[in-house]
Amino acid sequence: MSQASASPEAVRAVDLRKSYGDRVAVDGIDFTVPTGSCFGFLGPNGAGKTTTMRMIYGLSSPGGGELEVLGGNIVTERRQVKARIGVVAQETNLDGELTLSEGLAQQASYFGIDRSDAKAKAQELLEFALLADRADEKPRQLSGGMKRRLLIARSLVADPDLIVLDEPTTGLDPQARLAVWDSLERLKQRGVTLVITTHYMDEAERLCDRLVIMDEGRIVADGRPSELIAETVGAEVLELRPLPECDEEGLIDSLSDGSITGIERGPATILIFSGDAEAVLSRHDHDRFPLESALARRATLEDVFLKLTGRSLRE
Amino acid sequence: MLPEPRFAFAVWRRNAKVFSKLWKGALLPTFLDPLFYLIALGFGLGTYIASLDGVPYRDFLAPGLIASAALWAASFETTYNVYMRMNEDRLYDAVLATPVEVQDLAAGDIIWGATRAMVYGSVFAIVVAAFGLISSPWAILIPPFVFIGGLCFAVIGYAFTSLVGRIDFYSYYFTLGVTPMFLFSGIFFPFTDLPDWVEVVAWFSPLYHLVEITRGLATGPEALQIALHACWLVVVSLILFPIPVRALRRRLLA
Repeated sequence: MSQASASPEAVRAVDLRKSYGDRVAVDGIDFTVPTGSCFGFLGPNGAGKTTTMRMIYGLSSPGGGELEVLGGNIVTERRQVKARIGVVAQETNLDGELTLSEGLAQQASYFGIDRSDAKAKAQELLEFALLADRADEKPRQLSGGMKRRLLIARSLVADPDLIVLDEPTTGLDPQARLAVWDSLERLKQRGVTLVITTHYMDEAERLCDRLVIMDEGRIVADGRPSELIAETVGAEVLELRPLPECDEEGLIDSLSDGSITGIERGPATILIFSGDAEAVLSRHDHDRFPLESALARRATLEDVFLKLTGRSLRE
Repeated sequence: MLPEPRFAFAVWRRNAKVFSKLWKGALLPTFLDPLFYLIALGFGLGTYIASLDGVPYRDFLAPGLIASAALWAASFETTYNVYMRMNEDRLYDAVLATPVEVQDLAAGDIIWGATRAMVYGSVFAIVVAAFGLISSPWAILIPPFVFIGGLCFAVIGYAFTSLVGRIDFYSYYFTLGVTPMFLFSGIFFPFTDLPDWVEVVAWFSPLYHLVEITRGLATGPEALQIALHACWLVVVSLILFPIPVRALRRRLLA
């Protein structure tokens, strides 16, 4: 696999914008992806993640601001920059008429790699994707997880310095997700820079060194996953399910003190963020405020996400 | 705006590879079509027509059908087939994320359309020869000229596909574009005894120029005329090429 690019920054965006007609998809975002890291974009549907990815890999031209990818300008130096990027788009856009090995060799030819090298590369990538025994099959004969692994393998055909993955595990079963994560971790170890979007918080926590949370075209938080959790919601969460007769306002008042960093109320649950959830729970009076259940747990990115982007459904 | 040959070739080769797997099934219908016309009109109707300008009707008709085989092949390829690759299979998005650019993709697909036209035209030329309807050894030059005509048909079909995003409208292209061109480009009747304006109108049809070329080569060529018709096809193809490239940039790189 290739050397990491010489520049310390794989992607740098300053006040990056994009609108489609009146609809603002990306509304002035700044971020820097360090070379060799895994950088995540989280956010609800319609937050502007995919538009940002498409701008990074050159399928969409920035509407404003600056965007530097691998030290080059993705608008004026398209071919040179694109030659060093691998892309795993959100939709499965495999070439259905070609067998797996033909498809990978064909992908190599789109990068100007000559035929004999392309065949060797295809073999190597099939092994990487754990699909060497399916070389002569067509993509439609593969399961969803295999198709994803093949798409990731395809993105590696020209030894990219940067790989952009838009929702690499959406729709996969747990085993298939693990296999995809395993592939991505192997790439990280080789020093390839990864940029991924996801709305799975466990995925982001596991893979991403840094991440941003986007909502309505803006970045609403950024940092390391652990920092984001600590800063936004605190280390732990107390998750309460009050019984119908419980006075919720009184319950919250009875538990509140200086150690609480935030409270989120949903239709059936109350989340109380603090440094020590057990300590908060110990103050609870079961007779005055009856609960169906109480759970003290470690705070996750999911709590951060819901706190920052709200609970209402995004369509 | 200028395509880079190696990338256009990569696109072309993908299509050739797929065609090499499917050709048996794909070749037959487009090849039977002109054959039926040849039998019905050339050998059926032609029996009741003494001769045209001293040539038996079937000898007049057959070379023109070589040109129309190319027209139909290039038109189907650059409309329905390109539509599928572009919009249904999302292959264009995948390819444009590599160093291949819109102009390479357009050039590769258009040259493939012309190649396919050449294959269909050449196969039908062999059939015409087998019926004994070719009287000049110059007919051996038909394939490369059919390729040139195919380029022009392919650019036009490709431009339509790049501008029209809905497959429901594609039948208009055939009903209002390809079919009238097929009927009024001098394949079925000569323009010699018709009012002058008919030939002037026909001059704007790319198929007319290819029909003049294939008929010329099948019966003994007038080199200058053939060269002029070929020039017309090349020049028009080059003039039209930027139209789909611009349209696709707007559509695919928005």
